[in-house]
Amino acid sequence: MTDGPLIVQSDKTLLLDIDHPLSTECRRAIAPFAELERSPEHIHTYRLTSLGLWNARAAGHDAEQVIDTLLKYSRYAVPHSILVDVAETMSRYGRLRLESDPIHGLVLVTTDTAVLEEVIRAKKIAPLLGKRVDAETIVIHPGQRGHIKQSLMRLGWPAEDFAGYVDGEHHEIALVENGWKVRPYQALAAEGFWHGGSGVVVLPCGAGKTIVGAAAMAHAKATTLILVTNTIAARQWRDELLTRTTLTEDEIGEYSGSKKEIRAVTIATYQVMTKKKNGVYAHLDLFDTHDWGLIIYDEVHLLPAPIFRFTADIQSRRRLGLTATLVREDGLEGEVFSLIGPKRYDVPWKEIESQGYIAPAECIEVRVTLTEAERLAYATAEPENRYRYCATTATKRKVVETLTKMHADDQVLVIGQYIDQLDELSEVLKVPLIKGDTPIKERERLFNLFRTGEIKCLVVSKVANFSIDLPDATVAIQVSGAFGSRQEEAQRLGRILRPKADGRTARFYSIVSRDTIDQDFAQNRQRFLAEQGYSYRIIDADDVSQGKI
Amino acid sequence: METRSFTDYLRGLNDAALLSLFEHRPDLMSPVPPDFASLAVRASSAPSLARAVDSLNAWQFQVLEASAAIKEPMSEKEIISVTDSSAKFVIPYLQSLALIYKSNDGYRLPHTLRDVLGNEPAGLGPISMAKLSMKKLEEAPEPSKKVLEKLVWGPPRGSVGDIRNPGPGIEWLLKENFLVPLDQRTVVLPRNVAIHLRGGKVHKHPVPNPPALEGRKVKQDLVNHAAIANIATLLRWCEEILNFWSEDPPSALRAGGLGVRDLRACAEHLGVEESCAAFIAEIVYLGGLVVIDNDDRVIPTHAFDLWLTQSAETRWRTLASLWLVTSRASGLVGRADSKNISALGPELDRVNAASTRKLCVVLLNENLELAPDATSFNALAQWRAPSRRNPGMQKDLISWTLREAEWLGLTGQGVLSKYGRNFSNQEDSLGIDKDLPKPVDHILIQSDNTAIAPGRLEVEIARTLDSIADIESRGGATAYRFSETSIRRGLDHGKTGEEIRDFLRKTSKTPLPQPLDYLITDVAKRHGRLRVGNTSAYIRCEDPTLLTQILSDKKIEGLPLRRIAPEVLICDLDAKDVIATLRNAGYLPAAESGTGVLLTAQRLNRAKSKPRPPRVIGEIERPSEDSLAAAVRTLQAGERSSHKQSALREIANNALGALPRTTANETLEMLNQYIKESQTLSIGYADNNGSATHRIVDPLSISAGSLIARDHGTGDVQAFRIPRITGVAPL
Repeated sequence: MTDGPLIVQSDKTLLLDIDHPLSTECRRAIAPFAELERSPEHIHTYRLTSLGLWNARAAGHDAEQVIDTLLKYSRYAVPHSILVDVAETMSRYGRLRLESDPIHGLVLVTTDTAVLEEVIRAKKIAPLLGKRVDAETIVIHPGQRGHIKQSLMRLGWPAEDFAGYVDGEHHEIALVENGWKVRPYQALAAEGFWHGGSGVVVLPCGAGKTIVGAAAMAHAKATTLILVTNTIAARQWRDELLTRTTLTEDEIGEYSGSKKEIRAVTIATYQVMTKKKNGVYAHLDLFDTHDWGLIIYDEVHLLPAPIFRFTADIQSRRRLGLTATLVREDGLEGEVFSLIGPKRYDVPWKEIESQGYIAPAECIEVRVTLTEAERLAYATAEPENRYRYCATTATKRKVVETLTKMHADDQVLVIGQYIDQLDELSEVLKVPLIKGDTPIKERERLFNLFRTGEIKCLVVSKVANFSIDLPDATVAIQVSGAFGSRQEEAQRLGRILRPKADGRTARFYSIVSRDTIDQDFAQNRQRFLAEQGYSYRIIDADDVSQGKI
Repeated sequence: METRSFTDYLRGLNDAALLSLFEHRPDLMSPVPPDFASLAVRASSAPSLARAVDSLNAWQFQVLEASAAIKEPMSEKEIISVTDSSAKFVIPYLQSLALIYKSNDGYRLPHTLRDVLGNEPAGLGPISMAKLSMKKLEEAPEPSKKVLEKLVWGPPRGSVGDIRNPGPGIEWLLKENFLVPLDQRTVVLPRNVAIHLRGGKVHKHPVPNPPALEGRKVKQDLVNHAAIANIATLLRWCEEILNFWSEDPPSALRAGGLGVRDLRACAEHLGVEESCAAFIAEIVYLGGLVVIDNDDRVIPTHAFDLWLTQSAETRWRTLASLWLVTSRASGLVGRADSKNISALGPELDRVNAASTRKLCVVLLNENLELAPDATSFNALAQWRAPSRRNPGMQKDLISWTLREAEWLGLTGQGVLSKYGRNFSNQEDSLGIDKDLPKPVDHILIQSDNTAIAPGRLEVEIARTLDSIADIESRGGATAYRFSETSIRRGLDHGKTGEEIRDFLRKTSKTPLPQPLDYLITDVAKRHGRLRVGNTSAYIRCEDPTLLTQILSDKKIEGLPLRRIAPEVLICDLDAKDVIATLRNAGYLPAAESGTGVLLTAQRLNRAKSKPRPPRVIGEIERPSEDSLAAAVRTLQAGERSSHKQSALREIANNALGALPRTTANETLEMLNQYIKESQTLSIGYADNNGSATHRIVDPLSISAGSLIARDHGTGDVQAFRIPRITGVAPL
């Protein structure tokens, strides 16, 4: 029994005491195999999962190391069953390997024929297998590489992929570090990815995921396909790549609804990729048109299902996923793992914040009390309209007014879900509104004005949830959101996390109607941020109007 | 020549020898025999001898067996010659157990001992009375030699097709009397021949020395480290399994015990294998911490609450002591060949469970710093306490014991820990409390509405926290989550929001985060705003003053009225009664149905429940002739008794004077006869205290050991238990 910082629970969670002197050292030691589940202010929770342990095996850690680490830092005795389970789970990884055979091409090889016999009898596996070469080897059609990996993982016998990657068409790409430098964590993330082959890098919004992408491209030095959420994000990627790398405008193509350029580096939107023409995905060919050496998926947590399916077919190309959160509202985290790759790098938001790379932020929940009339209307509203009603009450509007007045000198974003509410707000506050049908040109114009500070305040709909880059927003006011979507909350907070020139604390207001389901949804949304160490302060709308914040 | 008998031998023992005899065979002194003759009888009774033989180790047993194989009386030399020179150290021990005794012509065995050891000790057949020339054996033809080889180490019997026409090898042996025919198809190898062939010895593998224990060395501090971890885990397991059951008590199987699915649920909850879950379930059951109650629920007892308040050492010692002595073997649960055996069930008792466990602990205590491997440990245990009846079971028991000792923390990494050593040496202090981490008295509350208890919480704090937060993760520490539901639960348990906040402020090392503070306030504010209760009638009136008047009206003071709103009174009486009372007092109430419809007409009384006519069970069957006759007799007897009761009693008293007395067989016979004859009887009937009373009855029938008869005293048809009937006489 040592006095270590780690408590190993019998349900495979690890509790890390942050205030312990050894906590940093311990965090580094357990990071390779344990997945960070939440990191509030005192005790961080990690979890031992099969995926995490296999990840560690893939990164060259063995069970003994893992067990030693647990024993070394554990405050109490480590439950025996956990140790047994760790050893057992880790021993499952790598019994099966995908290899490139000079004669037979892609083969599934095992060191343990019993395992091979077990898996070839599985119904899901059998159709993916080719000819059996000998007791330990089976030919696999190269096109099934992704599918077989997926199925094997589901069976609990993940295959180690030694089949390598195609290099893709060579294309010289290098970073241009003039006046800026790749931050240490970005470099680590890019390296972690490169050595792992394929995988996902998890970084908070505003932590510079684009740079990680650029650094990965500089490692690959090959033609690259970048998939992003929408056209605006595509243009921002282009701009970033132009300033941060040796790439020139001629080398970067945009493949979107309006343009269909295919160049050495092509940036495509999810939307166009998943557009159906006569019932078929017309643009999925893009994956094949070029000998891509690297495919980057921006905002992996939004990756649409058809892209997953296609990703299964291109397992021989390197894949990099970028995201702020692996939480998927649709629960497809496992697909991300098996098809794009394991998590290669992540770091708690607060840690990057403490290094000064993202702005410190203060989250405030403003509770408004509905008027009697509103309460009555809310109580009698149809259940399906209730949220909409309480999220868009007139009382909220007054609070937004007060807040924008208070922050008259700051760059303020008002974010909401319901267009009529936003229309109203934009009218009352006399500020422009950006919504889905705002033309791209107009959007860019407004963003530019906002960037330069000519406009101090913008009202935006959920189109702004993703990938718009507003360097100087310091205040965000959220008036309504999707039904308790955790990743949306994270994305919105991300809008104001870019470091400020004067090191100012950013503010994130969430306006919530008291005693309604708005409050319940808010709580669900906030859970993710609280787990990331952002604690919410709750204040009353009346206090706001009296200037008590 | 006078031979000293076993009794004489016992009589000649000095006090020390007697003490040692009683010490080794405690069954001989309960109760203490009145004289040496009865001691001798008891000491040579088969059960007592079997018990004594079971306590021998393998070598002692072999020596005894060898002694039983040779002719009585025997000398020490003879015994040694068929065994090993070290037998001479064993003989005195066997003597101290009175398994062998010295008469004036040599050693002898108590006469029943041979029966206890079996007819063929060490696989030896009966002694041949014929004159044998062993030298001739060397001339035996080849087939005969083969036969001998087969029989020499036992069993000594062999079957042949037909004794009159055996094979050539057997024929020669039979001719030379080296084989003796037992029956048409069986031959046996005589003992003297076998011993000769065995080279003058009785056993093929004499085992004068215990097999060496093999295993790996483990340092004692590592052992203690692992053991204390095991102890902490075990105590936590016990606590968790009981808390788990208290939340949702599983139902016991009809045959008793915990169902497979419930056991699996426990195993999953604890994160252990099912065998371990069964062990934990059994150990808390032994401790009386859980019980299967009258409703067949498996539910923790108050003993659990008491147990929780004790120190870790006491808690552990209680469980470990019970484990050591119980005859229940939890290892049986869930084995493929014992599918129907369930934890907490009735079928877990095994004869050798406790003794095997004790033996294992003793062996572990003798081999400190060595984690024995299973095979050699098993061999040693088999040597120390050979189980001749069920060696497979013993092997299982040993492996379960080693496994369970590790779960208990008696051992750490397979070696007896210092706690286990102190425990088996029955030291006052085991050192557990000193080495276990101290329980913590604080929690850390975080802004994501979780709280972490970084260690085992003090019981009271854990209880309170359990009522206001949900447990998310268990283990060395506990992670709690606060939610609206959990806070509401706390409020339902009678805590106020302020109390919850105060408790958290006091217990948390970190400041109470604002969101949690707000959550508690919010829930507390809304809690109990709606009130729900039962009532049976209400009085409503649009004029509140009238209700005030009713409330203060002296004439209807008897109505238990309560005003729940200005315009509503409620009353626990039926609406009908309330209306009547109000009318009597001069008010003009109108009845209203539950939906608010005015009931104008006089309400006919109807049941509120749905109609539920009795079930029709089918036609009445034609009664049998016997029962018809019985019915007639009953009727007649009833008629008679009402008129002649007193007269009959008088007659009976005069006629009999005393209670009739018959033997049990006579009673039954007479009853059967008189039932047929419909004769009124006088019977003596013993009550609960054994004193017999006199009854005059008309017998009707006999069923389930009772006489069904009409008692003239009470006039009722009654059952009389036949064993209690002291006698029967016709009137």
